[in-house]
Amino acid sequence: MPDPEKRFAEEWRNAAYNCFSSGHKFCREVCPVMQVTRNESWSPTAFHANVVAMEKGELEVADVAADYVNCTGCGACELRCPNSLFTGDFYRFRTRTVDLVKAVRGLAVSQGVHQPGWQRWNLLTDERRHEPVLNGTPVDQARVRDWADGLDLPIGGETILFVDCEAAFYRTSVPRSVARILNLAGYKFGLMNEQWCCGGPAAEMGYEEQARRFAQHNLDDWRAAGVRRVLVLDPHDYITFTEDYPKYFGDAYDIEIVLVVELLAELIREGRLTPHVPVERTVTYHDPCRLNKRKGVWREPREILRAIPGLTFHDVDRVTQWSYCSGGGGGLPVEKPELTAKISEHRVEKAAELGVDTLVSACPWSERPLSEAGRARSIDVVDLHELLAESLGVAP
Amino acid sequence: MTVLLGDPVLEELRQILGPEHVLTGKADRLNRARVPAPFPVHRWAERMPDLVVLPASTEEVAEVLRLANSLRIPVVPRDGGTGLTDGAVPLRGGIVVDVKRINQIKEIDLDNRTCTVGTGINALKLNEVIARHGLIYPDDPASYPCSLVGGRIGTSGWSLIGSRYGHTRDLVLSFDHVLPTGRVIHVGDGIGRKITKSSSGYQLKHLFMGHQGTLGIATEATLKLFPKPEAELSPFWAFEDYDSAYRAVGALARAGVATFAGAVLFDEWKVDYLRRDDEAYIPQPSSVKALVCAAMYGYEDEVRAGGRRLLRIARSLGARYLGDEISEGDWAARHDRYATPLHGRTRSGQVVPMSWHCEDASINYTNLPAVRLAWHEIADRLRRESDVFDDWGMFAYTNGATGADYLTEIDIGIWEQRLDDAAWEAWVRAKRDLAAVTLAHGGSISACHGSCREGEVDLVPVELGGGYDVMLDIKRAIDPNNIMNPGKYLLDQAYAEKS
Ligand SMILES: Cc1cc2nc3c(=O)[nH]c(=O)nc-3n(C[C@H](O)[C@H](O)[C@H](O)COP(=O)(O)OP(=O)(O)OC[C@H]3O[C@@H](n4cnc5c(N)ncnc54)[C@H](O)[C@@H]3O)c2cc1C
Ligand code: SF4
Ligand code: SF4
Repeated sequence: MPDPEKRFAEEWRNAAYNCFSSGHKFCREVCPVMQVTRNESWSPTAFHANVVAMEKGELEVADVAADYVNCTGCGACELRCPNSLFTGDFYRFRTRTVDLVKAVRGLAVSQGVHQPGWQRWNLLTDERRHEPVLNGTPVDQARVRDWADGLDLPIGGETILFVDCEAAFYRTSVPRSVARILNLAGYKFGLMNEQWCCGGPAAEMGYEEQARRFAQHNLDDWRAAGVRRVLVLDPHDYITFTEDYPKYFGDAYDIEIVLVVELLAELIREGRLTPHVPVERTVTYHDPCRLNKRKGVWREPREILRAIPGLTFHDVDRVTQWSYCSGGGGGLPVEKPELTAKISEHRVEKAAELGVDTLVSACPWSERPLSEAGRARSIDVVDLHELLAESLGVAP
Repeated sequence: MTVLLGDPVLEELRQILGPEHVLTGKADRLNRARVPAPFPVHRWAERMPDLVVLPASTEEVAEVLRLANSLRIPVVPRDGGTGLTDGAVPLRGGIVVDVKRINQIKEIDLDNRTCTVGTGINALKLNEVIARHGLIYPDDPASYPCSLVGGRIGTSGWSLIGSRYGHTRDLVLSFDHVLPTGRVIHVGDGIGRKITKSSSGYQLKHLFMGHQGTLGIATEATLKLFPKPEAELSPFWAFEDYDSAYRAVGALARAGVATFAGAVLFDEWKVDYLRRDDEAYIPQPSSVKALVCAAMYGYEDEVRAGGRRLLRIARSLGARYLGDEISEGDWAARHDRYATPLHGRTRSGQVVPMSWHCEDASINYTNLPAVRLAWHEIADRLRRESDVFDDWGMFAYTNGATGADYLTEIDIGIWEQRLDDAAWEAWVRAKRDLAAVTLAHGGSISACHGSCREGEVDLVPVELGGGYDVMLDIKRAIDPNNIMNPGKYLLDQAYAEKS
């Protein structure tokens, strides 16, 4: 066995055995990939068992790298696992499928095993400093602040708003809504001087060196501009800044990360924002995986929805939502768009059963696949920030 | 002996199923060679299939079996892969037919109160859908979140609330069954899809249930539904000694309360095991040695009345009620507290990841105390032999409403990272001994998982006597070429006799 693989197997051995020795697959039916493929090779338990097989010399990373594409990083399996649910806190153990999948992807790349779509995606990202987003959408440093045209936002300052690549270049009405709402509340913030991709997607696909390089650039840029606080509207960025960056930079990382959804809920609570324009829609809410499942953020988006007059809100409890995902995360849409589409169809079908006309999400990356699936069922997919802006009477 | 599959077979399977549903990768095969029951990991590769197929319909399953039968290729059906007796693990290579893609809900019949589903569906998922109609499919094993309908049929599984609603064999009304030759039949009571009782002909439904994939593959099943219970009551009681807990559990079951869904008796080893961490069990004074729980399901008014009676009976037998919070919490955790490897302990108390193994039997009420002592002695012997084993205690669950017999299980933790050939041999011996104790006490080797694993399987012919010879005749008649899950239940003997 090559050395990196040996080191990897050693590092993950006990965690892998904790799942392998259970092997009950309580996690299986909440896994969005499993739900649409029913292929046990792509289940959380297989992801762990493969490590045991690697340790036994039965498998090499090249044999399994393609299997590890089939994960959106949603975190549902981790929450559903009795090893986290039951004994986790007591033994300070949590099943970490998401990290394991990332680690195997990283191992594969370091061994020169590439997935063609991911390789191309990360090359382009490296070239342009931003994710390619959509074929034909011009993506580069010169345009990363175009979304803010006419909003008259300063550059730099103590607090800045970080806008993910999808929202900055494609879903521009989301950051515009956020900016207008914050202005309305008198909340001061600026834009980043030279913003690169957060590096999170590269890390998720296994391109660790690139991810660290991008992270370093952003941190340096923040430091140079005296930034103390970064506002984040994208759940994926939120994970990168609160989980990856501290891992890269350790204690030296002293930037406060604020999730916009939480900030907005607070501003409403404090009476600094009062939604008043009725929005006559029947909606349900799609908990973005990285908020509900991975960060336990599920109250604030509901607080915001309940504050909007005119809305009829059919909620689904957050635990049921453990098994819902848009399929848009973890690099899945880049390698397997057809699976992402199926997962989104599945999600929208659940919304349709509630008799709603609108599915509200709070994640720019979920909107493309969900909207596509929604069109087939005449369900609108709307971003929470935009909906709030509408009710506050501030057009994007 | 591994069958090497030539390319023409592969090509034909790809034609039948579509290329993406024929898996040949090593990881695909390794992951279909494993169930939660511990096994010597260093011998993992011995159990691998040559191929895995993922059919989507009865017709596809039939075509695969027709092909396999004509070429004498072993076939192993696999569903949830949660079976604990290795039923879904190939012994001779061949093709694993993984039926998880056959998971559609075909019909919900509100008037006859049945539904028809593909056997790759999970009961929890099914219940999420039928709950909207106020209905429930009450097959509720501890593996409720992960076992699937086909595997429930293949093992003739046992439900935690079976005293109220019946077990898998009662709840599955009928199913499409693909014979090893590829012929498709429908078995139920008579031919009826939704008939619950008939007396035409032999009772074939039961023959094709619990065969561990040795007689074919069930693909589409019609299930009995019930009104979703309005109320659920699950009181837990503490006892200072096993004997009084034992007396209480019997009295509760014999009381004949209509909403009674089941009772469980935890012995002192099990209580010790639960004390190992404080999340699965709220700490009780050390004077607590045994626990009893009862579960009632039904309408609010009937559950409340029945509950009062059971609480009265328990109190009169020295029980201390643990309170609503603990009771509800413990019952809610009934699916999750099993198989947590972090409960494993070496003799010196070190925490190590251990797999859960559950040895089960049907034992008459009167024999429970004796079997319990004999079984713990076997576990103790194992533990003295090696740090690889740990005694996780015993449960006894009522099998039926009368309390005549109990699913009796001893849970053994096994440290698979250290499981070598010698330890495995010791384990197989222990399984044989556990089964022998069962038979010596007039019990049946298995109440829910089946008994086709190394060790206990040796005693199946002893348990069944002349019935086992009939089993051999049936196997030969239905599976002339011994392609279905060959090697299981020692059924190879059927063919040795013939030649
Ligand atoms: C944590 C845990 C708790 C458990 N608790 C219980 C419990 O309370 N009660 C209980 O009964 N069991 C329990 N089990 C055991 C297991 O869940 C059951 O045996 C279950 O019925 C197996 O279902 P499966 O879908 O996983 O089947 P599999 O493991 O895939 O298969 C089981 C057997 O059925 C055969 N088979 C599979 N599909 C078909 C088919 N379509 N047609 C014919 N044969 C088929 C297989 O070849 C195999 O022999 C538990 C297991 C675990 C891990
Ligand atoms: S991830 Fe957790 S729930 Fe899933 S098989 Fe492993 S131990 Fe079981
Ligand atoms: S993180 Fe989500 S997609 Fe990945 S294995 Fe777990 S449940 Fe499946």
